[in-house]
Amino acid sequence: MKPFEYYAPETLEAAVEIMARYEEGVYPVAGGTDLIPKMRYGQIQPKVVVNLKRIPGLAEIVPQDDGSLKIGALATLTQVASSPKVRERYLMVAQIAGKMASVPVRNLATVGGNLCNAAPSADLAPPLIALDAEAVIFGPQGERRVPLEAFFTGPGQTVLGRGELLTAVVVPPPDPQARGTYIKHAHREALDIAIVGVAAWVRFEEGGSVCEDAHIVLGAVAPTPIRAREAEAAIRGAPLTEERIAEAGRLAAEAARPIDDVRGSAWYRREMVAVLTRRALFSVTISQ
Amino acid sequence: MTQFSYIGKRIPKPDAWAKATGQVVYGHDLKVPRMLYGKILRSPLPHARILHIDTSRAERLPGVKAVITAKDFPPRRFGFAKDRTPLKGDKVRRVGDEVAAVAAVDEDTAEEALELIHVEYEPLPPVFDPEEALKPDAPLIHEERESNLFRHQEYVHGDPDRGLDEADVVVEDYYELGYMQPTPLETCFCLAAFDPSGRLTVWSTTQIPFLLQRDLAEALGIPGSHIRIIQTAIGGGFGRGLDMYSFEPICVWLAKKAGQPVRLAFTRQEEFIAAECRQPMRIWARSGAMKDGRLWVRDVKILLDNGAYVSWGTVTTLVFMETVGSLYRVPHARVISDSVYTNNPITGAVRGFGNPQSTFVVETQMDRLAEAIGMDPLEFRLRNVNRPFEETPQGIKITSCGLKECLEEAARRIGWERRKKKEASGTKRRGIGIAATMNVGGGARIYRSDGCGAIVKVDDFGQITVMTGATEIGQGSDVIVAQIVAEVLGVQPDKIVIVNNDTALTPWDVGVHASRTTFIAGKSALFAAQEVKRQILETAEELLEVSAADLELRDGYVVVRGSPDRRVPFDKVVRARHFREGGQVIVGHGWYDPPNEMVGADGKGNISAAYGFGAQAIEVEVDIETGKVKPLWVVSAHDVGRAINPMYVEGQIEGGVVMGLGYALLEELQVREGRVRNPTLLDYRLLTALDAPKIESVIVETDDPEGPFGAKGVGEMGTNPTAAAVANAIYDAIGVRITSLPITPEKVLRALKEQRSGEQ
Ligand SMILES: Cc1cc2nc3c(=O)[nH]c(=O)nc-3n(C[C@H](O)[C@H](O)[C@H](O)COP(=O)(O)OP(=O)(O)OC[C@H]3O[C@@H](n4cnc5c(N)ncnc54)[C@H](O)[C@@H]3O)c2cc1C
Repeated sequence: MKPFEYYAPETLEAAVEIMARYEEGVYPVAGGTDLIPKMRYGQIQPKVVVNLKRIPGLAEIVPQDDGSLKIGALATLTQVASSPKVRERYLMVAQIAGKMASVPVRNLATVGGNLCNAAPSADLAPPLIALDAEAVIFGPQGERRVPLEAFFTGPGQTVLGRGELLTAVVVPPPDPQARGTYIKHAHREALDIAIVGVAAWVRFEEGGSVCEDAHIVLGAVAPTPIRAREAEAAIRGAPLTEERIAEAGRLAAEAARPIDDVRGSAWYRREMVAVLTRRALFSVTISQ
Repeated sequence: MTQFSYIGKRIPKPDAWAKATGQVVYGHDLKVPRMLYGKILRSPLPHARILHIDTSRAERLPGVKAVITAKDFPPRRFGFAKDRTPLKGDKVRRVGDEVAAVAAVDEDTAEEALELIHVEYEPLPPVFDPEEALKPDAPLIHEERESNLFRHQEYVHGDPDRGLDEADVVVEDYYELGYMQPTPLETCFCLAAFDPSGRLTVWSTTQIPFLLQRDLAEALGIPGSHIRIIQTAIGGGFGRGLDMYSFEPICVWLAKKAGQPVRLAFTRQEEFIAAECRQPMRIWARSGAMKDGRLWVRDVKILLDNGAYVSWGTVTTLVFMETVGSLYRVPHARVISDSVYTNNPITGAVRGFGNPQSTFVVETQMDRLAEAIGMDPLEFRLRNVNRPFEETPQGIKITSCGLKECLEEAARRIGWERRKKKEASGTKRRGIGIAATMNVGGGARIYRSDGCGAIVKVDDFGQITVMTGATEIGQGSDVIVAQIVAEVLGVQPDKIVIVNNDTALTPWDVGVHASRTTFIAGKSALFAAQEVKRQILETAEELLEVSAADLELRDGYVVVRGSPDRRVPFDKVVRARHFREGGQVIVGHGWYDPPNEMVGADGKGNISAAYGFGAQAIEVEVDIETGKVKPLWVVSAHDVGRAINPMYVEGQIEGGVVMGLGYALLEELQVREGRVRNPTLLDYRLLTALDAPKIESVIVETDDPEGPFGAKGVGEMGTNPTAAAVANAIYDAIGVRITSLPITPEKVLRALKEQRSGEQ
């Protein structure tokens, strides 16, 4: 590893001030479970590393007055998995947080790190996007919010500008009429990156089986996590029948833009998008 | 049955606690005064001429103590085929070839120095495909050779052509088997230090301390007598340590040039790129049977990709032949193998050593034949198993043999009859498959000697110390040797000290391979202990004035049979021998070289003094929409002669099964154009504890006539049949045959789609 400058500021303002000094080569570090391996493998060579863990409050999970839930960027996966606030409101988020990586990694890895690392396969992205979460960003110009869907701009790339940090994600109040699920398809049961991940969130008409609204989000099949909007449209406004579900699977597969890599071929990924979309939709229908 | 005091007892590993709590000192933990850190500059190209190497900037970097290239030392060749030098001076033949090395005060400085070395290459046309490599116009990888063919071998018994004509049914398949890494937890390590008199000590993770001593001497031009190998606590081997690699002489050269001790350890990435892996094979195989259930003929052609250099791993074809020719009774058999140079990673020895490959072929074709003649695959196997004390046409002299029992027991436990009434639920389909294995279990004479020595001594405190040539790589040989000596001398095994890691102290051994340590090191320790027992009794006779025939050894005492009060402790016996005129020490030595023979050019000969047998029955669940295969349950039954320590036998079986499942389903070093695409433990996937199914180990004891207390080897067997049993179970579940490994979800899904489109 190459030598680098290291800061451990104790306020957000100080962190942002340090970050903003550099045009490039400056990296915040949270759990370090993405950053450190990349440094070791020489994929990146930071000039400056800014530790965010001394900044108070960033790891908190706090319900907001409007019923939404603010999950601090520094909250660890273990925290998210075991938080009753997350479990009760957004079970799919807690469940995947508790299955990612391994116990030791989950004790370090953070929500913010997973999102800012911006791997197309990041497991928290599809369920959080499906829930319409917002990214809370703090920088030299103060705070701004962007829909999480718009947060990612490419593999390893986000909308974060010079000096900006992700401080939290805010998830809208849970909808009693809605169900969500995230299916991660990987080779191993643990310690593995998704070949494909599909999150589905469906709001049903009160007391019925008609789908009022649907969000289908695909991970690991495009440069960023993507919504499968044609697939969503195909099921909106009608009961979720087997035929419609199959059609949604087909349309989701069409929306995918997968590549061949060490985890799977583009062909296989596309096939899996259809299968997992169907399974996700069946599962929310059954649990309805 | 004989009553044993310590043989057959489940004695836990004494170092288990220390290992689990991080107290064991592995090579990577070692530090000696003035130690430097070595790093190797590796070729980024698969095939290129080296035009020029400029190390001047690296040499000027503060903290760098030595920079070496091939020019610094005479180019001595080493390796199985003497086809490589430690540092490459003329050309590189694979991505990862060693071109320069540095030693510096810390790792970061050494890494930085590597970046300052400039190498000018002239790329040469590479060849990655072993079939392409055999074409007359293929680029020559070793210019001193006429072609890229390293070796052509033919084995025949009976008349295979006639056999194929006569057989009622013949099945034919093409197989493609990929790279697998041994992946021990501890990566390659070496620490080299010269003492003031110029003698060299090397701390190493090797599995072959005495051959390494010889190989280093040859590569370095230092007399072997000046080289001492000390094995550190070794974090796993799985065959990785069976050849000397280039980094070992490089490390010594760095120490020589720097005049300081140098440590060289692989990163995990380097381990994936530069440690030798299981050889990929292309296999064309035909098997034939008679309608009445007699296996009739096998005809196999193998193309083995050695990679850029040849290691001991090329001998895997011998093991391959044995499975083809002798796992079952077969009147006609032929194996033709070509092993070829390519610009791919180097292949070497990995647990099973050719047997996982051959067993995959043989045992999937057994199922195909059974189906073709309409016989149950278990029944078909039982009809053709070898029996005890049979000699096969290959010259394999089977002695104890529990293959039939293993097959029956594995099938019974998994509920073989459930294959008939299968229920499909949703998208999941279940299936059960079985496969058998035969593995050398009494050594394997691939080197001129298959021997091991042992020394047992008793000191004047009554302490028993065993010095054995055997290497402990986590398998538990320390305790096995102690149990054997304990049984002879009548002391608790935990009272015995084992010294086994230093060529300056321990007697010679050929190495820890071929599942041979219990059998051979065990037997040599047995002989040494028997000699010690004789010496103890000789003196005790005088002290107790009772003839040796009426004495026995128990709990550290020589006791008069029938009168337990009349006894004398070992320490007193020893002192009585020391403190007298013409005194003597109590020390016994043993040497055991098993009655086996080297395989001839015709592929025949009794390579081992005993053979282990086993059978695995595996139940899997296949998801027909995703192609994912989930192993649910494995029953693995093994004839080990006698289990000296059943807990360790189970450990070997379970570990073997998990490794076999990795080969079957997950583990694949993805090599494209000579480059490893997945050199990380995240993307080279070993099974995690969550992926491992329930494993039931069954020990079948047949009391081998040659092995120590009837024991045979078990180290590799668990890995051999797994992939075949999984493939057979998948076929049972969904009716598709996958003939390439690993069986990825993608392959299964494609095969299912082809099956469906075929049905339409
Ligand atoms: C063995 C292993 C298994 C893994 N398994 C999974 C898995 O199953 N699923 C999965 O999705 N991922 C997995 N990962 C990846 C990783 O663990 C997760 O992405 C994790 O959530 C990253 O969080 P971190 O806090 O460690 O990030 P860090 O490594 O600290 O940071 C990651 C990146 O984000 C930036 N960053 C961090 N925090 C902020 C912030 N608040 N504002 C702006 N930028 C920031 C850093 O500069 C860096 O570029 C695995 C990693 C390992 C090593």
